[in-house]
Amino acid sequence: MRINLAILLGFVTLLVSTHSVAVPVIQHWKTDNGASVYFVPTNGLPILDAQLVFDAGSTRDANKNGVAALTSALLDQGAAGQSAQQIAEKLESVGAQMGVSTSRDFTSISYRSLTDDEALQTSWGVLNDVLNKPDFPAVGFKRERKRTLLGIKKRQESPATLAQLALYREIYNNHPYANAIQGVEETVSALEVIDLKQFYQQYYVANNLTVVLVGGVTQEQAKKMVQELVGSLPAGKKASLLPEVNADIEGKTIHQEYPSQQTHLMYSLPVLKQNDPDYFPLYVGNHILGGSGFSSRIVKEIREERGLAYSAYSYFRPMRENGPFLIGLQTRNEKVTEASTAVKQTLQTFIQQGPTDEELTVAKKNIMGGFALKLDSNKKLLANVVGIVTSGVPLDYLNSYTQKVAAVTQEQIRRAFQQRVMMNNMVMVTVGQSVEQKTNVD
Amino acid sequence: MRKLSAAVFVINIIYSLNSFASPDIQPNMVHEKVLKNGLKVLVKEDRRAPVMVSQIWYKVGASYEHDGITGLSHVLEHMMFQGTDNLEPGEFSKIIAENGGRENAFTGADYTAYFQTMEASRLEVSMKLEAERMHKLKLQEKEFVKELQVVMEERRMRTEDKPQGQTYEYFKALAYTSSPYRNPIIGWMQDLEDMQVADLAAWYKQWYSPNNATLVIVGDVDKEQVFSLAEQYFAAIPAAVFKPVKKRIEVPQLGIRRSIIKQKAQVPYLLMGFKVPVLNSVDDDADIYALEVLSGILSGGNSARLASNIIRGSQVASSASAGYDMNARLPTLFLFDGSPAQGYTAAQLEEALLDQVKQLQTNLVEEKELSRIKAQVIASSVYEKDSNFYQGMQLGMLETVGVGWQKADEYVDKVKTVTAKQLRDVAKKYLIEDHLTVVHMQPEEISNAN
Repeated sequence: MRINLAILLGFVTLLVSTHSVAVPVIQHWKTDNGASVYFVPTNGLPILDAQLVFDAGSTRDANKNGVAALTSALLDQGAAGQSAQQIAEKLESVGAQMGVSTSRDFTSISYRSLTDDEALQTSWGVLNDVLNKPDFPAVGFKRERKRTLLGIKKRQESPATLAQLALYREIYNNHPYANAIQGVEETVSALEVIDLKQFYQQYYVANNLTVVLVGGVTQEQAKKMVQELVGSLPAGKKASLLPEVNADIEGKTIHQEYPSQQTHLMYSLPVLKQNDPDYFPLYVGNHILGGSGFSSRIVKEIREERGLAYSAYSYFRPMRENGPFLIGLQTRNEKVTEASTAVKQTLQTFIQQGPTDEELTVAKKNIMGGFALKLDSNKKLLANVVGIVTSGVPLDYLNSYTQKVAAVTQEQIRRAFQQRVMMNNMVMVTVGQSVEQKTNVD
Repeated sequence: MRKLSAAVFVINIIYSLNSFASPDIQPNMVHEKVLKNGLKVLVKEDRRAPVMVSQIWYKVGASYEHDGITGLSHVLEHMMFQGTDNLEPGEFSKIIAENGGRENAFTGADYTAYFQTMEASRLEVSMKLEAERMHKLKLQEKEFVKELQVVMEERRMRTEDKPQGQTYEYFKALAYTSSPYRNPIIGWMQDLEDMQVADLAAWYKQWYSPNNATLVIVGDVDKEQVFSLAEQYFAAIPAAVFKPVKKRIEVPQLGIRRSIIKQKAQVPYLLMGFKVPVLNSVDDDADIYALEVLSGILSGGNSARLASNIIRGSQVASSASAGYDMNARLPTLFLFDGSPAQGYTAAQLEEALLDQVKQLQTNLVEEKELSRIKAQVIASSVYEKDSNFYQGMQLGMLETVGVGWQKADEYVDKVKTVTAKQLRDVAKKYLIEDHLTVVHMQPEEISNAN
């Protein structure tokens, strides 16, 4: 059996370089009022997915922290004179789905419907009302503000959430990324309907909007629908550039006491912008360090060797301005010293020595061999296209993706980590109970 | 994000209308073949992308366990990645990774399942490896000791340090008396501490065999090729002799049960459940589909009653939902859960939810409301086809709980036949106080948080 497995493996690895995946062609146009539109037609399923992405994330909150998130939550709570109930009924009567979400960089409205005439016309009409004519009714505003405040309170129940909030506060300091997306009690309590309306008027404008469509409609249909949807939005202004993140942060360790059985640990610094020239070496390197589950070093050290955690990982999250590189885990309180020592040691060794030749080969096989899995559903296709067009990489990004992965060298990874991941600047946050440590340091 | 897990584990399925549906619009046929040793192979060809998912489902899970050995199925699932006669610990995962695959496993009350998602030409890799660990698992003390620590960390993360997770655990233990659903899937901490590698060996021997498994492949594959590969790798594995599984039917509940669970939390939480039958426990399934639609009337979207009446209308709830898993192996609970809005108590939320039940028992649901739920079911049945993984889940789960994969094809049509009168009837028949369990989670001061 062992020998057979090896033969099989040898055989299939040949396929990595020869197999080709049909990469979708992204069609692009702009509306007269300035919205950027991207469209990928698909065959096979009578479904249309859409995402409307505004540069209106919580970084745009200014001194009204939480206003971006609350504005998006209010969109479907009353529009064009219809109540929240009427809006939901209309949409759901044809089985369509709509959701909003706010991150630090963006606010997105996502939409899914069947493509028969009735479903499409009805649900697109609802989307149109919600996007163009939100009423921000007082009763809905008060209720959603109250629900947000309860959500803010509930964050205090979760050591994982507390750790993440503390980390962002620390590594981003005075930058808008430091703030919680939903805001804090003081700022949310102070919000009024007028704040939401102003936010909407400033940021929900065509020049600040990217529309992505994926699904079973023709380009002609797509053009007509998008025009109908966003054609009458004011052109407005593109949101201004964000301030740069201060790279020179002070490395430190912060502990927050919490009566949990586990301590949640995060170790991080801001590193990576979207469309960064070091992206591929850092991405492939992180795959080996902590981004690929069982085959990654952090999981081997923390979980497989020491049994210290169920989940241990690292990632780079590229954002508009430098997003974090982050290592995270959670372990029983008496083991946090052992875990943090192991994490630092693993990272330090990786930065100094880079990956081995074998690790790099295996990582490339995994990423390249799994390329088809990135694009195997309309949902994933949509997510990829949104990622491409909002980050500013070329539209044919996916065509050269596997070549770029293949081109990464050990030396590039080592150099990129040495230049970008400065351990002296890293912040470690722990949230849990301080107890006497039981350490097995080898 | 990016949670690493040898066990994704399905705890609390509180949405159900996205569930099982029929291939109405694009009939992708399911092909079945049973090998001589009893392994059932299901294939669904879906050629939209050059990928496939391979899932193997074993008929074993937490509801097969008894007191003292809870959590065994799940720990065994973890150990399935820790070496066989011909594979070193971790080598299974390494081979899948080198072939560009994604893999994982999950344990539920009624099943343990393993899966690989790969570019379609790699099907053979996954089959060969799954066949190996079906009968050649090598359980080693050293790996076991370490993996048990990992599972305890998993338990602390999911339960001990999650107020709502822990509340749900106590809730189930209160609601069920003789049903094995009373025990947590991950196991009680004491049972984990007492677990021995010999327990796992016995459990593996008892349940892991071709005649207790279903192999499901969905994707850009050819059914004949799948059957022939299955034959090639699995046919030599001998069938096991099974004793019938003990029925362990829940004794009748003879009155309301309630309890208070104190937690280090900030926001109160309410759980309620009525004892109800499931597809697998009845001959006439009309009531089951009616209960399924009833959960949609309450909780199927933003226009459904809980969102409309108690989140937006009376604003008693900050969140509220209802759920029903008609595909459980054994009779289950029709669940409600939620958090009261600021200024309201869990008791007031309970009252509001029971009032919703009462309205369903008294008045007929309007035709417009009913057709909205049906429209959502029909649309969902199309949306589900966007995911090979989900299509495989449907087939594997229905087969494994004993209902049979063919039920997937009936789902939409059966839902369409449900009438307003049936909804009122099942509400009156099943959502009754004597069969109700209520738990209020009470926040306690968190003394040392800052």
